[in-house]
Amino acid sequence: MIDAFLQALVNGALAGAVLALPALGFNTVYAVLRFPNFAIASLATVGAYAGWVANAVFAWPAASSLVVAFVVAGAAGAASDALALRKLRPLGAITAAIGSVALDLLLQNAIRFGFGNNPRGYDLPVFRNWQVAGIGIGPQEAEDAGLALVAMAALFLLLRFTRIGKTMRAVADNAPLAESKGIDPVRVAWVANFVGFGLAGIGGMLVALDTSLDPLTGFRVLLSIFAAAVVGGLGSIPGALAGAFVVGIGEELSTLVLAPTYRTAIGFLAILLVLSLRPRGLLGERAY
Amino acid sequence: MLDYLASLAVFAGLYALLGLGLNLVWGLGGMVNLGLAGFFAIGAYASALSALHLALPLPAAALFAMVLAAAAGALLAVVTARLRGDYLAIVTLGFAEVIQLIASNEIWLTNGTDGLSAIPAPGRGVLSPLGFDLASAAIVWTVTILVAAALGRLAAAPYGRVLRAIREDEMVARVAGKNVLAFKISAFAAGAAVMGLAGSLFAAYDGYVAPDSFDVLVTLLVVLALTAGGVGRMQGALVGAVLVVALTEGTRFLGLLLPGLSALQVASLRQGAIGLFLLLLLRLRPQGLLPERLRVHPIDSEEAKT
Amino acid sequence: MGSTIPRRAALAGALAVPFLARTGLAAAPIPLGAINPLTGAGGAYGPSMAKVAKALTTRINGAGGVLGRPIALDVEDSETNPTVAVEAAHKLIDVNKVVAIVGTWASACTTAVAPLCWQSHTMLFCVSGADSITKLPHHGYIIRTQPNTHLQSGRAAEFLLQKGAKRVFGLSAQTPFAVDSWNRLKEVLAGGGASGLGDIIYDPKQISFRSEIGKALDAKPDTLFLNSYAPDLEILLRETYQAGFNGKRFTFAYAATDAVLKALPASVTNGLWSFAPSPNVGSPAYGAVQAILGVNDPDPYSCQVYDHVSLVALAIGKAGVASGLAIHDNVRKISQGAGEKVSDPVAGLRLLASGKEINYEGASGPCDFTPLGDIISCKFLFQVAENQRNKTLFIS
Repeated sequence: MIDAFLQALVNGALAGAVLALPALGFNTVYAVLRFPNFAIASLATVGAYAGWVANAVFAWPAASSLVVAFVVAGAAGAASDALALRKLRPLGAITAAIGSVALDLLLQNAIRFGFGNNPRGYDLPVFRNWQVAGIGIGPQEAEDAGLALVAMAALFLLLRFTRIGKTMRAVADNAPLAESKGIDPVRVAWVANFVGFGLAGIGGMLVALDTSLDPLTGFRVLLSIFAAAVVGGLGSIPGALAGAFVVGIGEELSTLVLAPTYRTAIGFLAILLVLSLRPRGLLGERAY
Repeated sequence: MLDYLASLAVFAGLYALLGLGLNLVWGLGGMVNLGLAGFFAIGAYASALSALHLALPLPAAALFAMVLAAAAGALLAVVTARLRGDYLAIVTLGFAEVIQLIASNEIWLTNGTDGLSAIPAPGRGVLSPLGFDLASAAIVWTVTILVAAALGRLAAAPYGRVLRAIREDEMVARVAGKNVLAFKISAFAAGAAVMGLAGSLFAAYDGYVAPDSFDVLVTLLVVLALTAGGVGRMQGALVGAVLVVALTEGTRFLGLLLPGLSALQVASLRQGAIGLFLLLLLRLRPQGLLPERLRVHPIDSEEAKT
Repeated sequence: MGSTIPRRAALAGALAVPFLARTGLAAAPIPLGAINPLTGAGGAYGPSMAKVAKALTTRINGAGGVLGRPIALDVEDSETNPTVAVEAAHKLIDVNKVVAIVGTWASACTTAVAPLCWQSHTMLFCVSGADSITKLPHHGYIIRTQPNTHLQSGRAAEFLLQKGAKRVFGLSAQTPFAVDSWNRLKEVLAGGGASGLGDIIYDPKQISFRSEIGKALDAKPDTLFLNSYAPDLEILLRETYQAGFNGKRFTFAYAATDAVLKALPASVTNGLWSFAPSPNVGSPAYGAVQAILGVNDPDPYSCQVYDHVSLVALAIGKAGVASGLAIHDNVRKISQGAGEKVSDPVAGLRLLASGKEINYEGASGPCDFTPLGDIISCKFLFQVAENQRNKTLFIS
């Protein structure tokens, strides 16, 4: 019994590390633009497919394919937001959110149009799990978690030490004030979207590496991404990290008592719990 | 051809009914509800199961569907009553997804992803296919128009005025002594009941329900219908539903215009077109084609003197 | 892929383009429908099934059709999805007014479509195996050319016993036959001194099965019975390998497709056993299917669809009337009994026209049906995966 519990903890931590990326992306975008962008689901899928093309078609290794995933998803996210959602934002967060659901449908079907519904696999070898003290750890999963941590570290450095990072934080803290100080909101939006959706793209590819890739890859983890973001505090960047681990581990632990298919329902329950008891999430709603 | 048009009329009526339910919750009540597909599913399964296992005739099965959906709506409302808009959007979307999960996995109840077939309906097997479609269209639209009239009365009555007040400014409504929570829950439950009714009619007409039919696409189509037809006014749901069916069926002919594409590619163009249309509508007319007429009460008008 | 509220087929007769072979016949065509898995989990087989149906229809029309009328075949894609199959059936029955629907593959699709057929007196020919299908109240409107689950699982268990399996655990996708096949397997295994330890039913839409596999391996089986479709089989094979399982694995041939074997390294797939009902190898009808598809080993489903179309044509030829009811009343009169044995539907139609009795022997087997619509018996083919290809072990 203790073994199963420890195994679930390990699996959950690894899954949480990967989930943290799209959750961070989501919260980064929310912090700066103040509305939930549902298109993160299909943008994560866009990243996964971009990485797949690099890996399975052009035979690039996993690491450089992930960079491709970042760049393509980031660019697609920033562009689609500018084209489709920018003019909706003044109409209110709800209108923008609905617009993003519509955008998500559009992007998902663009992927389906180009690649079809059949699941794809990346061109990677299959390894046996490492057995550490009776706990199985997949080498691929461990590598994915490691890459996720690297990406997160890069994000923190960006926000903390670069000028554009400080600008983003200023806008997140107080947008009107930042604008009155001369910060261009459009430019900040571009950067926030590029970084946020780029992270989602890496996250999408990591999820697909572990399972399989089809147009719904990102959509399947949407509820978990929300849960991580809400649990940690919508718009809080460290919150997304904390929330992702809570949700990842919670989902794995739930498989000890519930049928495994209800894993994502845990995300929903977590959202309800947090919103009832501590609506601002674990780390509040301040961005940083 | 007539058969085809009759079946389109049935689906337009179902979308209209769903739109009416959403209008009550969202248009009047101001509560975002992206979980429509969940209440639709609850109604459909409740009706199908009671018809299949308890041999309930359609009116009774539909009533059962409405009660169950209303209960689910009330429960969800209690939990989400104090949430603001964007949280509500996320939570209601999650609700619909959980309902779909339950429908897919509780095989003992719902038969899982294989679905429930051979759902009885009045006239099936007795009338010709054309006769059945025409009769179904008549039934669905009669129900829809009755519900539209009822909700229209409700909207004009004090109940509707209070809901609108809550929508505009909850604080003021509370200060004026209204039990905001009770109003919100009742509106949510009533809207959910209407959606459940649509689910019941759908299950009977199609004769088959499966989790696949209750995904986020349905919700988006109804949101599109309301946005197109006008949020707030009940007629808006009817107009919007007809427009949505025109859109989904009109795009079918894309396949004929672009013969080089596979069936899947045509299908993805059609689905993508729905997203595109909604985006365009939101940009151009976020208040819809039949915007709500706000009633102005000048203080020194004749009305106020009576 | 999500679907909207199912939409009734759009294309009224003028716009629809059913497959109509060029025959020069002016008589009113006989509408025939096919619902095949052109895409989705069964996508490896649908296109060949459609090709066989079209080719045979063309041939029959070229030889004068049935009762002097050409067959108008319309093939729809089920996407291996019951909701989509129901839409397709609505279109074929209400708009095309078909006399029969042939080739439904997934048991879930057949089960969903069946009530529409028997309620409208449309004959349904399927290749699905679930026991429950012929137990539905179909009043004789279902014929299936595939051995049912009871028969299949029993043979599977006998094979496993032969191979020395002692502790078998099952992982099954949600289908109408998941529970029945496990129960039958367990029953026969127990009779041979082995045990069916347990079965976990999973949602095939999931993309990872680690928890399920963990639970299965906790029971320490020596053999895994993977009752899966191709996409989930691929994930299951990979994840059981990662989890360190070294025992035997057994599945259905329709899941262990070439695509799955090529997608994974040989080290993962080598040794995977699979089985399928064997077609009537050597019969002239089987030869015809080989010729149509241009392969030496056509899949069993395409062979069955050949027989479906033949049975429809011959039943109508015998009845003198083209309707679902006529096929319902006459199909067994031409498929079994004391008539002259034929394997070629065109030859059979000629014999019928001259008043003779016939007994059709098809590409999938002798095509003799019980009153419920099942085939009486058939042979099975067993194979093993070796270096990313399937190698036949034996047929029996």
